[in-house]
Amino acid sequence: MLNTLVTRFKTRLDDGMTVRRATFVYSMLLLYYGFLLIPLFWLIRSSVVTDEMLRAREINLVPLAHMTAENYAAVLSNETFRLYFINSTLIAVATTVLTLGVGIPAAYSVSRFDYPGRDYVVLGLISSQMLPLVLVLIPFFTVMFRIGLVDTRVGIVFAHAVGVLPFVVWLLKGYFDAIPQSLDEAAKMDGCGYLEIMYRIIVPLSLPGIAVAAFYAFVGSWNDYLFVSLLSQSTGTRTLPLGLQLFQTAQQVDWGAVTAAAVVTAIPVVVLFALVHKWLVDGLSNTGGKGV
Amino acid sequence: MGVIIFYPIVDGILTSFQMRSFLQPEAREFVFLAHYRALIQDGVFWTALWNSAVLTGVSVALQFLLGLGLALLLKQRVPGITIFRSITMVTWVLPVIVIVIVFNWLVQPGYGLVNLILAEFGLPTDYWFSNTTWAMPLIILMHVWKNAPFFAIALFAAMQSIPDELYEAAEMDGASAIQQFRYITLPNISYVAMIMIVLHVLYTFNNFDFVWLSTGGGPLRTTEVLPTYVYKQAFDQYLLGYAASIGVVMLIIMMMFTVIYVKLEDLD
Repeated sequence: MLNTLVTRFKTRLDDGMTVRRATFVYSMLLLYYGFLLIPLFWLIRSSVVTDEMLRAREINLVPLAHMTAENYAAVLSNETFRLYFINSTLIAVATTVLTLGVGIPAAYSVSRFDYPGRDYVVLGLISSQMLPLVLVLIPFFTVMFRIGLVDTRVGIVFAHAVGVLPFVVWLLKGYFDAIPQSLDEAAKMDGCGYLEIMYRIIVPLSLPGIAVAAFYAFVGSWNDYLFVSLLSQSTGTRTLPLGLQLFQTAQQVDWGAVTAAAVVTAIPVVVLFALVHKWLVDGLSNTGGKGV
Repeated sequence: MGVIIFYPIVDGILTSFQMRSFLQPEAREFVFLAHYRALIQDGVFWTALWNSAVLTGVSVALQFLLGLGLALLLKQRVPGITIFRSITMVTWVLPVIVIVIVFNWLVQPGYGLVNLILAEFGLPTDYWFSNTTWAMPLIILMHVWKNAPFFAIALFAAMQSIPDELYEAAEMDGASAIQQFRYITLPNISYVAMIMIVLHVLYTFNNFDFVWLSTGGGPLRTTEVLPTYVYKQAFDQYLLGYAASIGVVMLIIMMMFTVIYVKLEDLD
């Protein structure tokens, strides 16, 4: 039985890959993915067991008899948490739309036109990634305060869009640069204006890049803690990363609810990641690791 | 966009020469270098600077080494390897707060998984985030857990673009696996590796969330880093000018790395 399995396994191995080497590779993979996935497994496991099991001083990996959906019921029936979920979604979607709406034309312009100061725009894009956020925070807050955008969703969207835009432009520029200029020329011959070239040629040809950029903007907004904690002062504008504090007080933490809320917070970005994963990895290979 | 990005920087630098309170941000009084003079004598500032350097240096080094090892594994053409490749980056997309919750839960006193396992072997247990020796290593571990997979995938992608012929030729010449790694793989991924390292140095040095959400800089300032110290000076002590002067020091350090990054980009 084992022999036939080994034989069948061997037939699936490439040249130069011995069973011994494959065994070594698998054991190292298991070691690494244990480090990677056990904490995640433990998070999910903790979110579906009873409170009594959570505090049990024994290692029980899958305590079937003590499984419960109560933590999720508690989290999802919490109205404030639901409001935070809605805020997170609205803010992240709006950030994505705004970022792409501004970022696509901006990237097109730095990719295709050579105007005075273009190099400085590109340099600004890169170096703005490298500023100490905390230094920017203070003036940013006073500006937002002056224009009355503190504690509004619009203000947070604005903050997030400003935060992710430079990188998105930089990312898209890489994709746009890869499209041959001859296509632009041909379209121009056919009487297309710059806007038409952008929407008929550049955008359709770089959809994977745009998907990655959209993902980056969404995740940047969804995961942000710092700007929301600064700009949001009431439940009406708070988002999920802050919402996770709903289930803990200084004295006590409801770990069942906290772990369930953490899973709920993580699900949207993990699902989106699964959707763009292939393009993300391709982009990494194309841009030589510059992307994301 | 220039206004949005550059106005705060200019204003931040200006603020560092001024006495300015968060309570009355419009009242500004020039004090020139007073903040910087105070900074030199501020022991906590030096602690935070040192902690930032340790956190950044150690985490990025570990991320690179672990990522490189994992990239080499992912390159192996064993059945099922694509599954490993596709789940690798899952920790990278998680919000920092979720990562902090995961690790905080693992080291809970008494019933945290880490403590349960330690107790099983008769080892000491603790709430490790409040332990002056282990709080910083835990924060480093969280950074590594999040970012090492990203290093792995980027380095793996770089390795994929190396033509097979190079390895075949080397094999003909009798080069060992280690020689192939040293003379073919390493030089061909060094560009991507350098970019990744510089970017992550900047990202880690600048990161506020991990420390703030896990230890808040404690216990006894053993995990205090520059971003958390700036935040506390500005929003707890209301000393905007002093906070900004620390921010300017960060800006100078990060600019040095930015210059390296831009230089690297030029090589392209």
